[in-house]
Amino acid sequence: MAALEYFEVECPEPLGAEYYRQIANDVLLDHNLLKVVEKLHIYIDPKVPVFIAVGTLRKIKTIVRVGDFANVNPLEGKITLVISDETYLAPMLKLFWEKFGKEHVEQPDRFTVMLYDVKMDPREIEALVVADPSESLFRDLIYAFRCIAPEGFRLRRETFAKEKFSFVASENTLAEDVDALVAEKFALIGEKP
Amino acid sequence: MTLVPVTYKGGIYQHDIIMDLIEDLGGYIVQKHIIAAEVVLQCFVPKADIGLIRTIAKPLFGEVTDSPLVGTEIAIVSMSLEIHHLPHPSCDIAEYVRRIGAKSNMVSLARGPGKRIAGLNDEERDVINEHDLAVYLMGNFETCIEYKMPTLRRGIEVPIILCGGPSEEALRRITDPPFDGYVGNVGRFMRRTKESDQLDKLDEIVAEITRVVEKKRDDIAKDPLSVSPARLMDLIREKVPAILDVTSPTPLTVQMRGLRVKLPFDTFAAPLRAIEIEDGIKVGDVAEVAPSRMRDYILVKILPFSETNTVI
Repeated sequence: MAALEYFEVECPEPLGAEYYRQIANDVLLDHNLLKVVEKLHIYIDPKVPVFIAVGTLRKIKTIVRVGDFANVNPLEGKITLVISDETYLAPMLKLFWEKFGKEHVEQPDRFTVMLYDVKMDPREIEALVVADPSESLFRDLIYAFRCIAPEGFRLRRETFAKEKFSFVASENTLAEDVDALVAEKFALIGEKP
Repeated sequence: MTLVPVTYKGGIYQHDIIMDLIEDLGGYIVQKHIIAAEVVLQCFVPKADIGLIRTIAKPLFGEVTDSPLVGTEIAIVSMSLEIHHLPHPSCDIAEYVRRIGAKSNMVSLARGPGKRIAGLNDEERDVINEHDLAVYLMGNFETCIEYKMPTLRRGIEVPIILCGGPSEEALRRITDPPFDGYVGNVGRFMRRTKESDQLDKLDEIVAEITRVVEKKRDDIAKDPLSVSPARLMDLIREKVPAILDVTSPTPLTVQMRGLRVKLPFDTFAAPLRAIEIEDGIKVGDVAEVAPSRMRDYILVKILPFSETNTVI
């Protein structure tokens, strides 16, 4: 958990808190979100029942360009791209098809893409933006917290902003004073909601 | 002749010798798996002849191990089919139990999760009751388990083993009347069980299941069944050829007090009842052939000696 600056799970049942700490850790790790979350405070009270997660997010520059995962080698009228990481291969191919047309793009195997009769400078190709993972960041975070929260807690209210987020879930209608509780938990991590 | 459940593991080469031997000795092969070049036979063999099977299996590098769960069908009751409970821990436990010979089915509840909202419907109740025992996999909070357990156990007649996040003492404290078995400190988690302490926990669950199964076997021994389920299985396989065309992994699932026949009830119930076991005694005389709540399968419940006055 070195990546998180602050990480606490608060629960009237100490053993439950320990398990939920483990679950939160595993889920954030699985979804590659440990780098994104800076502080995280989880409060669970199974008696009410309510689940609250509040935290802050790190600023991340995450634009992925062709040059980040591929080597662009111009050779005798064609440009060969050697891919080192397949994660963004599909959006890259889509981008090439739109820009150059399908007849100019060929993929002989998993890790190679060839561009024929393309006038663009290889450096410009390297600089093409393929994806922006921060677009799906909030979706990923909400999904992760849905996994962490106890499953029966289906009534949710979540606020995700650029720097802070709060996630409240319960199986009963959320109490009106839940905002005060969220503010209280934000105060614990030294933030204001 | 006492039949004991064992697992035979060995190479595929000449494994038919072992199969013939088990059948000649009066044993029954419940399940046969061929995995690459390895054969796993789950079978019942006469207790006195285990030594002989070991001797004959030795040149073939075959191994015979005790597996008390062969011939049992166990329901692993998971609170839902969501990512919260699957694949860990529900599948991990179901798979581990399978390795030592049990036929485990996963039963996922439609409205299992939560505290106040948790419930069990009649179909789920009946399906669980068709098994030999049920393993309930609960969550991490004492409060929730205490609150929902009376609802989730209502109408369940088979022994239940309760697994949950709180310690075993806490689970015992919050449940009344007590369950047949408890395993504490194994609630909801989201990682694969591969570390040694996690595997120890799975072993603990298996040990608890074995203990409950042995107790049930002892109870059955007090009023023995009119016919052994494994014998009935062999008989059905011989007399109802349609079973050979069923593609399910275990077309005939042996249970402790009967068996599940994976054929449509309407078509096959009457021919099944009419099968003659021995000396004019038919299956219908010593067993109740009932429709199963699982698809349109048939459930054969073998009656005890006290009801039929015959043991064959």
